[in-house]
Parts: sequence; C-alpha cells; structure tokens
Amino acid sequence: MATKSLSRRTILRGTIAGTLASVALPPLEAMLDSHGEAYACGTVPKRFGVFFWGNGYGWLGRGRPDTWTPSGSTMWTPSEQLAPLAPHVANVSVLSGLEPKTAIPATPGGQGDGHMRGVANALSADRPRPEGFYHPDHIFALSRPTLDQVIARHPMFAGMCPTRFRSIEVSVSNNRFHDYGTWTCISYNGQESQNLPIRSVDQLFEQLFGVPVMGSRENADRATVLDAVAADARALRARLGASDRVRLEAHLEHIGEIQRNLRASAPMCMAPSRPSRPGGYDGSPGNELLVEKLEEMARLLAIAMQCDLTRVFSIMFTGPGSQTVFRAVGAPSGLHQLCHENRWDIAKAATIFTMRALARVLDVFANTMDVGGRSLLHNMVMLATSEFSAGDQHEVNEFPVMLCGRGGGTLRGGVHYRQPAGNLARTHLTVLRSLGLPFDSYGFNGAETNQPVAEVLA
Amino acid sequence: MRTVRLLAALVPAALACEGVIRDPSARVTPTRTDARVASDAVADSTTPVAPFEPGPLTFPRLTNSQYRNALTDLFGLGLTIEPAEADTNPFLFTNIGASLATVSQRGVEGWERTARAVTQTVFSDPPRRMTLVGCTPDATDTCARSYLQRFLRRAWRRPADAPEVDRYVALARATTAPGDPWSGLRYATVGALQSPNFVYRVELGEENGGRRKYTAHEMASRLGFALWDSIPDEELLTAADNGSLSTEEGVRAQAERMLRSPRARAGVRAFFVQYLGLSALDHLSRDAAQFPQMTVTLAESMRKEVELLVEDVVFTQDVDFRRLFSQRQSFINPELGQLYGVPYPAGASGFVRVDLPESSQRGGLLTTAGILAITSHQNSTSPTARGRFVSERLRCEPVPDPPGNVQFDLGQPDGGARLTLRERLERHRANPACTACHLITDPLGLGFENFDAIGALRTMEEGMSVDASGEINGVMFVGARALSERLATDPRVARCVVKQLYRFTQGRLDVAGETATLEQLTRRFEDNGFRFKRLIVELFASEGFRFAAPPSS
Repeated sequence: MATKSLSRRTILRGTIAGTLASVALPPLEAMLDSHGEAYACGTVPKRFGVFFWGNGYGWLGRGRPDTWTPSGSTMWTPSEQLAPLAPHVANVSVLSGLEPKTAIPATPGGQGDGHMRGVANALSADRPRPEGFYHPDHIFALSRPTLDQVIARHPMFAGMCPTRFRSIEVSVSNNRFHDYGTWTCISYNGQESQNLPIRSVDQLFEQLFGVPVMGSRENADRATVLDAVAADARALRARLGASDRVRLEAHLEHIGEIQRNLRASAPMCMAPSRPSRPGGYDGSPGNELLVEKLEEMARLLAIAMQCDLTRVFSIMFTGPGSQTVFRAVGAPSGLHQLCHENRWDIAKAATIFTMRALARVLDVFANTMDVGGRSLLHNMVMLATSEFSAGDQHEVNEFPVMLCGRGGGTLRGGVHYRQPAGNLARTHLTVLRSLGLPFDSYGFNGAETNQPVAEVLA
Repeated sequence: MRTVRLLAALVPAALACEGVIRDPSARVTPTRTDARVASDAVADSTTPVAPFEPGPLTFPRLTNSQYRNALTDLFGLGLTIEPAEADTNPFLFTNIGASLATVSQRGVEGWERTARAVTQTVFSDPPRRMTLVGCTPDATDTCARSYLQRFLRRAWRRPADAPEVDRYVALARATTAPGDPWSGLRYATVGALQSPNFVYRVELGEENGGRRKYTAHEMASRLGFALWDSIPDEELLTAADNGSLSTEEGVRAQAERMLRSPRARAGVRAFFVQYLGLSALDHLSRDAAQFPQMTVTLAESMRKEVELLVEDVVFTQDVDFRRLFSQRQSFINPELGQLYGVPYPAGASGFVRVDLPESSQRGGLLTTAGILAITSHQNSTSPTARGRFVSERLRCEPVPDPPGNVQFDLGQPDGGARLTLRERLERHRANPACTACHLITDPLGLGFENFDAIGALRTMEEGMSVDASGEINGVMFVGARALSERLATDPRVARCVVKQLYRFTQGRLDVAGETATLEQLTRRFEDNGFRFKRLIVELFASEGFRFAAPPSS
C-alpha cells in the first residue's frame, strides 16, 4: 500500500510539526505483519472518544429559529451553529430529534435539577441516581459506567492487548459549575467512582510521557513497593463496612494497574518535546485560552493513540452547567447564567465557538496518520454531545449528538439521521456496534433499545 | 473552581446546610405557612429529643491539605507536594467528600508519584536523611527496623504491629540497590506513604458495649485532623500510648493544648473558609465594564478580611462568636479601605484593624465585601442569593432549588420607567410558581440592597434611592446591620454553626441519633458565652466524637 513506504518517523514529524523532539518507532508498527495491515492483537485498533460541552446549544423554539439542525440526509448541509464543521462533514454523522427515554422517579428531587438527567442519559444511557444526587450516601449522580468505560473495559475492545492507560480523561475550561463530584467529571467507572480529568496541558504531558523507561530497576522496585501497599490494603479490607470495602477494592485495582504497567515489557514512544506556552492556557474566567489548550491536548492525545498508549479518551471541553465565560463572543458572564437570562444570542455564539473548537480536534485527528495508512480520525469513533438541547429551560428533546470519525470503516460518515422523539440510547448502541462490540441492546430504566441507527453504520 | 458566587440562587442544594438528611422524602416546596411553622419549631426546640445513638464510621482519604500538612510534618518544609486529585466538597466540606468518594486511578498514581518525589528530595540530602532515619543502614536490618518502627508510628498515627514492621523491613531489604544502603529505606518510606494506613484515616474503633469506641490512637488522629488539619504530633501520640486519650478528660486536656498552638488557627480558618464558601473569591469574576475596580488582589483581600475577622473573634478576643455579626471593627488594607471609604492609617502596612465609623452601614461578617460579593451575580446584586445564604448557611434552613427553567432575566418592562431590582423581584414573585421560595429569600436579601455586587456602598439604583428594608421573622428592618443584629440573637444561627462544625469534624452528615449531641453542644455553647473555642473542646469531648456505630457488613 502506498503509505507503507513512508517512514513513520517522517509522518510524525510532518503531522505534529514543532511539538516533537523525536519519536521512537511506536509499538504498533513493530507489531504489524509484513503487509503492514494485520496487527498482532487483531486488526488495526479502533479508538473511542467523547467530546462533551456543557449546557446545550443555542436553542430552537420559543420564537427562535432552528439554527442547529442540519439539512439533508446524506452529506448534510451545516446549519449556522454547525457551520464550523463544514470541512469535516464526510467524517461526521449528526443524529437529530433524539431524547432520553429514562423514567423519572416520582420522588421529589429524584432527578436533581435536570443537568444530571442530561449528563447521565448522554453518557450512560441511564437516569441518574433515583434518590436525587445530593444524598447522604452518595455524592455522584451516575448509576453506572459511562460509555467510554463500558468500552475501555470490554474484553473484546482492548482485552487482548491492554494499553498502558485504559483511558485518558481531560478537561479544558476550568470554569466549573461546582467544585465537587458530579460537576467536575464526565467519566465514571460505576457508582461513586469517577475518572477525574487531567486539567492542564503540563499534567497531561506528564501523565502520557513523563514516565521512565520500561524494564528498569526503578520500575521493578516501584512495583515491589506496591506489593507491600497491597498487602496493607488486603489486611485492612475485612475490617471495613460494605461500602468502604468497595472503595478500597477500587484502590487495590488501581494499584494493580500501576504494577501491571511497571512490569510490562512493551516498548513505548519517546516523548514529544514538552509543550511550553509562556503564561500557560488557564486564565481567569473569560481569559482562558480554550481552543489553544484544547488543540494542544488533542495533539498529545493523538500522539498517545498513535503509540497505542491508550485507545479511549474523553474531553470535557466545558463542564455540565457550563459557567465558562465566552468572552471571545461577547459573553459578559458565565454561559449557564446567560442561558437563564434568556440570552439566546450568546448561547448560539458560544455553540458556534464550541463547534469551531471541535473542528480543531477533528483537524488534529484527521491529520494524524495512523498505523495502516489511514488517519486516526478514520479509525476512531468520537461521540460529541452535551447535557441539554436548550439550556434556558433544561430541555432534553432534540438532543445534540454527533458521531465523528469512521470507526475504521464501520461508520458511513456524512449522514444526518433524524428521528423526532427517538430514543437517545440508540446512539450508544450504534457506537458499541460500530466498535464491533457484541451488544444486542443498550439503555436502562426505560431507555432500552435494540435498534442501532443503521443509517449511519456502513 | 469558582462556582458558588453566582449561584446561591440556583445551585443545587448541596450549597445548603442540607436539612434533608433525616428524611429525604420530606423535601418539598414549602408554602409560606409551612416555612414559618418549621422555623418557629426549630427556634423553640420543644420537640422531644431521642437518646444518643452514635453515627456511622467513616473511612476518609486525606484531603489535599491534610496530605500536604502531613508530609510537611513528617519531612519538613520545602517539598513539592502535588495534590493527588482534586478534593470534592459535597455538603460544603472536603472532609465529607473525602469520606464518600472513591479514589480514581489518577489519584493513586498521584500518591505514588508524590511519595517518590518527596522521598527523593529527602534521601538525596545526607543531613536531612540522617535527621529522619537517625542511624546509618548497614548489612543488618537493625537500623531499618528502628527507623521504620518510628516512622510508621508517626505516619500511620499508631504503632505498626510486628507483621507490618517485618513487611516493611523486608521491603527495604528487597529494594536496596548494591552500593546504596539508603535506597531500600527510601523505598520502604515510599511504600509507607502509599499505604492505606497513611492515605486513609483508619479510625474504626473497638467494640464497646454494642458500639464502637475510637481507640486512643484513633482519637489522636481525629483530634489532629479535626483541629490542625494534619497528623498528630508527638505529644498527642504519647497521650495515646499512655491511654489518656481513652478518657473524656484526656481528650479535653489535649484539645486545650492544641487550641493554644498557632496551628489551631489554621484549622479553624479551614472550617470557616469551607462553611462560608470563601474559595468562591479565588475565582471571582465581575463584569469589567460595571466594576472596573474589581481585581484579583481585591478578591484576595476580601477573603483575607473575613479570615482575619473570624480569627479576631475566635482567638484574639476569644469572645461571643456572635460578635462576628455585629463587630464594629474590621480589617482593611489600602484596597479594601478604598472600597469601603474608610481611611487607611498613614504609615501602616498590610491589614490593620480599624474602627468602622458609627454612621457606617457596615459592621460584621455580612457586610464584608467578601460575603456580599460571593452572594451576587457577575453583573448585579442578588437579594435572592443573599437571602438564601442567610437562610441556608446561617440558619441551616434549606431553600428548595429553582426549577430548571428558571429565568434570571428580571428584565426591565417594555416602555415606561425603569424599575429597581426590588420592584422587578416583586413582579417575579407574582408568578405563583416562584412565590413560595422567594418569600423565604427575598425579604432577607433585600436588606442588603445598599451594597452592590462587589460590596461597595450604593445609595442609588436606576436613578432612585435604594430601599434597603427587609423582613425577618415577620419583623421589618432596614439595612444589613439591623439584620445582623437580629441574626446574632437568632438561636438558629448558633445551632447551625454547631451542626456545621460537627459535620466538618466528623467528615459526614449528622444522623438522627446525634440530635441529642447537637442539642447538648448547642446548650453548652450558650452556657459558655458562645465562645467558639469552648465549643470545639466540648465537641471533641462529646460522645458523638468519641463513639461510632459498628459498620454494616
């Protein structure tokens, strides 16, 4: 194949210009057979990602025109709010009209204030904890793992060739609705167990590339240390109550994960040069360099995936109930507040800004050459979504859903599929199918469905 | 990060004192009448109280500040200590989040990384490692054993048992690199710092007549974290070793000693910062066109003023805690002086304690710029948020959340004269869906209308003079000072701070069986002239703090 003659090193230099000092031969390449196609762990790996933004889009209805829904069904025509995605239409399918179908318990406060109903449905195809999410016994809203973790932990996804990191979570804007739990994170392993995002470019670099060489004496010692730590934990386990035992078990599992990595013998990529931007990206509200930070994070994630350090990621561009101050589009204050002040104009402009940011992520993934000669974007499925359609009324009908990438050929791309009042969980089933995972149905507590959106599947 | 500031009005209930805990299903939108009846009942406190039943055990991880303080106590200053993962503060307190959250993969990696980084610094510095270890390791285990016995006791807040010491001695032996006898001790230390015995607070008590009684060493740990936000010092551990912390008297004696230490100020400050939500000032954002004088340093000064005010009342003066609401002195630096229109003394530097003019409408906590700012919107005041703060934070009376489709836009009417916020809120309350809650919040919050969204005094709004009248318990008042004086004598306020301090020190919500303890603490608080340090001692000595229920299996 044409790309086979191209040196991988050259490709990397070319696509991530300026950020790389040098990159060693990634393990993927080493594992390819002589045809450059078959992969020791199966075929070319698929990747899954989430791109989340908070508080919905510039709404339609209540006297507002629909500037969200694209027109056409094949090679859709972008609406005003989706215009920044125009260059990527062929790699993006839009699902419109869908909505959560989960039951709402009659208990007062049973769905919190609505934000978490949207988050839970968008990311886990289930309702949030039915008791309400501020409860003496739990502090996080979600009842089950989010889709990214369902995928990352699925034995048929990466089970045969576990990557160094099961998943990587990042967040871009630091303007969060609240500092605690539910508002800080969009990735869950299950109840009360979050995967908190990495919030700075430096930390992301450190996490991905700031690790010592595999197979050193130091790594062996570190793993031995963790044996003693795990022994302490096991000795303690029996003395704890049931719920605390679960927490300690999770801790033990994390220890095991670190040990597994320390004892792994696989080579790894050499680090790209450390990103250095004078002053960093994280300014005061309204002064955050959101797109720049996002793009840098996307580049680091792309390199990590190229080297097969991870196959699953999630990007929280802005948090649930986004309080990000989109000063670049004239927002005087946080988006959440402005939505409730009926500032449709700002909500719309902020959405266009967010879609522009999403387009930059797609640029990075499209320009990153993956093993087998296709782009990383081609080999990926990335779910882009929010927790609402209309933030001003906390509405969840006409839910925003985009499936980016081609799933290594399982997604057609360029499709706009519309089903008014359709089941949002069809999205999740479609994603799972596109990754080749054998789910007959998905969705919970009223959202169950066995109907993927066949129209977007190749 | 910043969050609370605009949101008192719409934040989900965790901002509240959360009165729902006894009966989550009882959380319904109150009518005006219900709210009155409920609050009167609390004030009169005539309801019979069930006998004390201890609350559940907790198993918190160290909060980031506890982790940082503990490492500093163990190894000294000058270390780079990164938080493993962000704290979370449900029900206001990071201690509660630490009891509930499960540590993430990232968090465990962070503990591993920090343990290596800190020990690297210490062990690569020969005088420093000698101070820590106290002997020179050789081919035998003698030095390792003596060091580890001492270190584990300090780090884990209890003597390690024989199998544990053996395990860490063996670890040191296994990780000692040829030619570097210190390396094994370092790795054993790295392990001790990642052990659940260090990163969690293992306070599980022992069987005592059907309930659990915290052991003397666990009490040392509880006292250390509750008052100093760190591990116990040697004196506390000694008091644990000799058993004196098993008795109420022993606990009192140590509490008194600890309160005399400057570290107690940091602990009490941590409580008030979280209780009042002052970290919102770290990320305060204001409409720059409206508030050009708002700067990052001004927000820092606002926070500092509240901290100094609390410290002044609790420690320096050691007077009636309720003085916080009425005190006519406060702390200003030049920037705050300018905002307040109070002259900054010539020749002074930093923060100085000043008398506020008798004519000033300012006095006490509620008129500090910090509290006024965190209960405002970015571009306007919020009588609703301010009223909610008074109701929820200060009186522990939760206000239901606004509906999802809440409209903050209390816009000016089309045509005709412009209306003040008070007038616009009045129109908003005409909407039956909004009335019930706004009748709780607005009459309280409107009393602050003569302070703008950054806490500066204002006399005019929309071309009209500001009306700062409000209503509390059916009685009219004018201005925040008048409101503050009423709050100072409102029994709900003292009762509420007792409850919140209890939650902070326990790292969990209070449960029904602890009502008796809370009642008793409130009574003693009053008997002791509402002096906060007395409350702290009584709380530590209480059964609620020394006993727990057995764990559920």
